Amino acid sequence: MRTATKLKDAELANIDRQGGSAAREERLTLGALVGRLFSNTTSAITVVLFLICVVLSQLSPGFLTSRNVYAVLAQSAVVGVAAVGGTFVIITGGIDLSVGAAIGFSAMLGALSVQHGYGAMSGIFLTLLIGMGVGAINGLSVAALRLTPFIVTLATMGMAQGLTLQAAAGQSVYNLPPALTIFGGGRIFGGLPISVIVTVIVFVLGEILLKRTAFGKSVYAVGGNREASRLAGIDVNRVTFLVYLLAGLCAGIAAILTVGRVGAATPTGGAGVELRVIAAIVIGGTSLFGGKGSLWGTLVGVLLIGVINNGLTLLNVDPFLVQFMQSALIFIAVLFDALNTRRIAGRRLNPGRTAS
Amino acid sequence: MSEPALVELRNVCKRYPGVVALDDVTLTLRAGTVTALAGENGAGKSTLIKVLSGAVRADSGEVRVAGTPLPSNPGDVIRAGVSTIYQELTDVPEMSVLDNVLLARHERRLGFLRGKDNRRLAAAALARVGLQGFDLRRPLSSLSPAQRQLLEIARCLARDARVLIFDEPTSSLPEADVEALMGIIRQLRGEGLAILYVSHHLEELFAIADDIVVMRDGAVVAARPAREWTHPDLVRAMLAKDLKNAYPWADRPEGPILLEVRNLVAPGVRSTSFAARSGEIVGLVGLDGAGRTELLKAIAGATHPSSGSILVEGEPVRLGSIVNARRLGIVYAPEDRKAEGLILDASIRDNVVLGLYSLITRAGLVLSGKLAALAKAAVQEYGVKAESIRQTVGTLSGGNQQKVILARAARGGSRVIMLDDPTRGVDVGAKFSIYEQVLQLALRGAAVLLTSSDTDEVLAMSDRVYVLRAGRIVSEVVRAQFNRERILTAASLG
Repeated sequence: MRTATKLKDAELANIDRQGGSAAREERLTLGALVGRLFSNTTSAITVVLFLICVVLSQLSPGFLTSRNVYAVLAQSAVVGVAAVGGTFVIITGGIDLSVGAAIGFSAMLGALSVQHGYGAMSGIFLTLLIGMGVGAINGLSVAALRLTPFIVTLATMGMAQGLTLQAAAGQSVYNLPPALTIFGGGRIFGGLPISVIVTVIVFVLGEILLKRTAFGKSVYAVGGNREASRLAGIDVNRVTFLVYLLAGLCAGIAAILTVGRVGAATPTGGAGVELRVIAAIVIGGTSLFGGKGSLWGTLVGVLLIGVINNGLTLLNVDPFLVQFMQSALIFIAVLFDALNTRRIAGRRLNPGRTAS
Repeated sequence: MSEPALVELRNVCKRYPGVVALDDVTLTLRAGTVTALAGENGAGKSTLIKVLSGAVRADSGEVRVAGTPLPSNPGDVIRAGVSTIYQELTDVPEMSVLDNVLLARHERRLGFLRGKDNRRLAAAALARVGLQGFDLRRPLSSLSPAQRQLLEIARCLARDARVLIFDEPTSSLPEADVEALMGIIRQLRGEGLAILYVSHHLEELFAIADDIVVMRDGAVVAARPAREWTHPDLVRAMLAKDLKNAYPWADRPEGPILLEVRNLVAPGVRSTSFAARSGEIVGLVGLDGAGRTELLKAIAGATHPSSGSILVEGEPVRLGSIVNARRLGIVYAPEDRKAEGLILDASIRDNVVLGLYSLITRAGLVLSGKLAALAKAAVQEYGVKAESIRQTVGTLSGGNQQKVILARAARGGSRVIMLDDPTRGVDVGAKFSIYEQVLQLALRGAAVLLTSSDTDEVLAMSDRVYVLRAGRIVSEVVRAQFNRERILTAASLG
């Protein structure tokens, strides 16, 4: 009997972590409800997103128009696609700072190839390939050479930026064929941006890969405990390489969306995307410590950043302040993650719960 | 009973949500007396230590140190003379021996450190634990684990400890160093310190204790002078039930040779050859650093052997490849559960299937039904006590965590199962069920390689043992010729 109650307690700690998805024997006071929602970053952030949308729709009549909603979604597409790959990387305990530069670099080379007479299809193909190339270099450096992800991707970021400027001599590439720009700039069904559809497809495929495949299981395992995963027979280096390769592929797709959105490949295209990507992932509840996270959280994080930017613009807030608020949000998200991690670790050490 | 009481607990209670961790505990620690505390995991020993060290506060009851109430924070408790030596070392390897001894207790004048006084204080404290004659400026990392353990005691002495609490102090010590530690503890007892000694190793309790106190379900169930206890009595009091035999045994037919290791040279392993048969439990005995773990890791592919060969049923294993070794049925269950065996934040389910994804996928997709069924079967078969397979592994007891690792090791076509100290830090009840599972693995035809920090355990479980010393096998002993003294001598001298 006693064992049962103890285990129930341990289980409760676990349920807490999962965001109170299971029923708890606790009176549903308002406080308890709020507490439960905020015990999990993803659900907390979803509530925040919802509240912000409600407030904005009251403050600005232009917010809830289809035109504005589509605009927010289209603006979020590039970050969203890149964040899918980034989520995989961060769940393994790594980080990819090069994604923005990879977007700019692959977009530029793809556009240049089209300008030099190659077709749109080969341009797209080259863009994806360059993105994956950057990812492969990151992956090999981290997995095979055992270099620190932060430094490696910082270096590849700088290298890609430099090569982008060099390749185009600091100029933008315009006059690109519609077959290339349609993915980022086209609309169907009376205004729905194609980039949004692309983003949704990438998210769905990413979710299947992460949750329903052995590879996805390995991604969580490697981030949760690299050595235990290795000893259990998981090819840890392969998994590590593949997540960076995937991040590179996503950068390539995001590059195509960027080119379409702007109608050109610019030498500074993709600059700063990495920070918004990491912000969205962390805000969405994926732990920078690795082992925990979800694409749903990332999706909500991407939308939250998009909505806040949009709302502040609609309300004519100083753009400098927009940057401040975005960064403050990251700070709060990281703090939240650290506090939650500590709380769970504290429970684990609690002797009453470790009893058999 | 004439010695003065240094620590008195009266009717101490501590509740956690849903658990009574301490249930009306009354206990006295006297000067010049070693009081041993025995009990299964979850009996309340850890909570008692936490209360005594000021890490947690009792809900009710009274704790007095030399007549005054125990302070409410760890720093003040240490200043009051009550120090705890924990299972894991709490030192700073990068700092010098001197700084480690004086961690948070430097002699100062006007805020400046006083070098000479500090050195004298540290040297005196170190001498009391038998650490003498070396440069105090040496980095701590140059000391052996056993010396570092002694240094932790010296640190407590430098803070004028009158009461020492030892929480599983020998769990990471080789057998030879345990004896040295016992000697120091006896000496400190002679100096009039009150000592509380907590250990899973019952023979240690008999060797060191004046009184043995048994806890069960948060309450003290028996407290008697050590000489009035017998080993079976003690186990019975801890479990409140009889274990018929401490170790299970079943005769097994001699099977064909499954594993063959030929002239293997690897990090920590010098040219080693041996074989293990199907259905056989082969023990590896050796002092710490003799190369048991290194040998097992080399066979598992976790380290890179420089030469030699490993064969499973005659098929050569690619050296240094865990993936290939696993495919051929070699599996290694590491001794450090938390760092190397488990993903503590993940569920039981995800830990059971770790690395076994081919069993739960079809065409690359995870079949969640199969995943749950596999995990449930494992939990049932191995008697993991948990409410559901979604429970986080980090919330389980050591014994149950070990069962999760065993359940994983048994699956995925495992033929050579290497268990590195599977009962480390595990309570008596869980130990027995782990032994039974080990036996089951052998009965099902696996070749089991077993190590343990408890030599008796290896001898009781094994058909054959190899004695390792300095990275190589120095002798092979079959069960009929097991002799504890001779084997330990071979391990330490040859």
